[in-house]
Amino acid sequence: MVEILNIFIMLMLVITALAMVSSRHLFVTVMLSGIFSLLIAASFLLLDAADVALTEAAVGAGISTVLFLGALALMDVEETTRGVRRIRMVSLIVVAVTTIFIVHATFYMPAFGDINAPIHQHVAPWYIQHVPIHMDIPNIVTGILGSYRGYDTLGEVFVVFTAGIGVLSILGDPIKNRQHRPAHNRGLRHYLIPRLVGRMLIPFIILFGLYVQFHGEYSPGGGFQAGALVAAAIILYALLEGEDKALQVIPMRVLYIMMASGALLYGGVGVAALLMGGNFLDYSVLASTPVAGQQWGILLIEMGVGLTVTGVLITIFHAFAARSNL
Amino acid sequence: MIIQVVAFALIVTMMLGLVRAIKGPKVYDRVLAVNMMGTKTVLLLAVLAFIDDRPDYLDLALAYALINFIGVFAVLEFFRTRESQLVIAETDDTGEASDEAPGNEGGK
Repeated sequence: MVEILNIFIMLMLVITALAMVSSRHLFVTVMLSGIFSLLIAASFLLLDAADVALTEAAVGAGISTVLFLGALALMDVEETTRGVRRIRMVSLIVVAVTTIFIVHATFYMPAFGDINAPIHQHVAPWYIQHVPIHMDIPNIVTGILGSYRGYDTLGEVFVVFTAGIGVLSILGDPIKNRQHRPAHNRGLRHYLIPRLVGRMLIPFIILFGLYVQFHGEYSPGGGFQAGALVAAAIILYALLEGEDKALQVIPMRVLYIMMASGALLYGGVGVAALLMGGNFLDYSVLASTPVAGQQWGILLIEMGVGLTVTGVLITIFHAFAARSNL
Repeated sequence: MIIQVVAFALIVTMMLGLVRAIKGPKVYDRVLAVNMMGTKTVLLLAVLAFIDDRPDYLDLALAYALINFIGVFAVLEFFRTRESQLVIAETDDTGEASDEAPGNEGGK
């Protein structure tokens, strides 16, 4: 049953991807990428990866379309075709050869869902056995990402932080770039129904974000997803009321502090563990018992992740919006 | 049994939406198709939660239901600020994007 659904979803993914590649109209590509994101989230869920699907839901549905449109407002909606024809033959050959290699390689892969596949026999059984002992939390994914793979997640947080700084250094300070337009023309504040419905939903989105943040050890979710959800709520406010109003609610200075303090909190937990006699990011020493220490550590680093992701996503939105008047 | 039927009906509806999103022809067709795909995905995720008997999957459907429409608002705002340019692009008359409403377009 699930396999058949998966085949259909995969088919739609391929069709959407081909349509995205062949479309010359960038607005159409943005719309299709929204569909692609929805489909891939359904596919992740079919593969039982609820945490990844929630990330895709939070980022894909709420934020990436907004940011793509913000970028699109800065350029032409038509893709330029100049110079493409010349290299087409070479790229065709490269792509064809790569495809043949990849298809050939798939014959050596274990069957889909094979219990003896290396991925199910390598470290996964160890994680499944030890997460309840070491951390006593039901969501094994959070245990792996937060504790066993704490270094990787630390790296990811710094990648997000760096991406925020990169966007700012290319697009410039949102405050300096502001285009001043008359107050009556900002946002969707004259469209009564979107404004009312949106304003009603914003508290619930933030509440749900907080639930995802602090319930991440028990159900799908965690800092990344929660950060994206809260950022989506603020971006919704900015779209409805105008970007300047959103900047009054959370000024740029606060966003900069959020970006940096999240990464700092994560690293700080690692250093705290070091000072209390453990290894870097070994949370067992943080509290009286190792299990409680692990739980505190995961809670704190997830808060750091959430802060940085929220700050960076809202900052990127402001950086685009200030230039494109979105 | 009935849930499986619903899942397949949703897949069929999503395929129809996908056809409309790819074929267009108007931008508004595509926006509507994306919105419909979003709604169908919310329903599909909810149905999957029942098929797999995993009520925590409903969190995902909830997340989608809450923030699915933000993209559509961004499209609205995008149209409002660049209406003239999009009309030009829709009629396939490329280039000539200079006659937009004054004061409405900041970034380009």
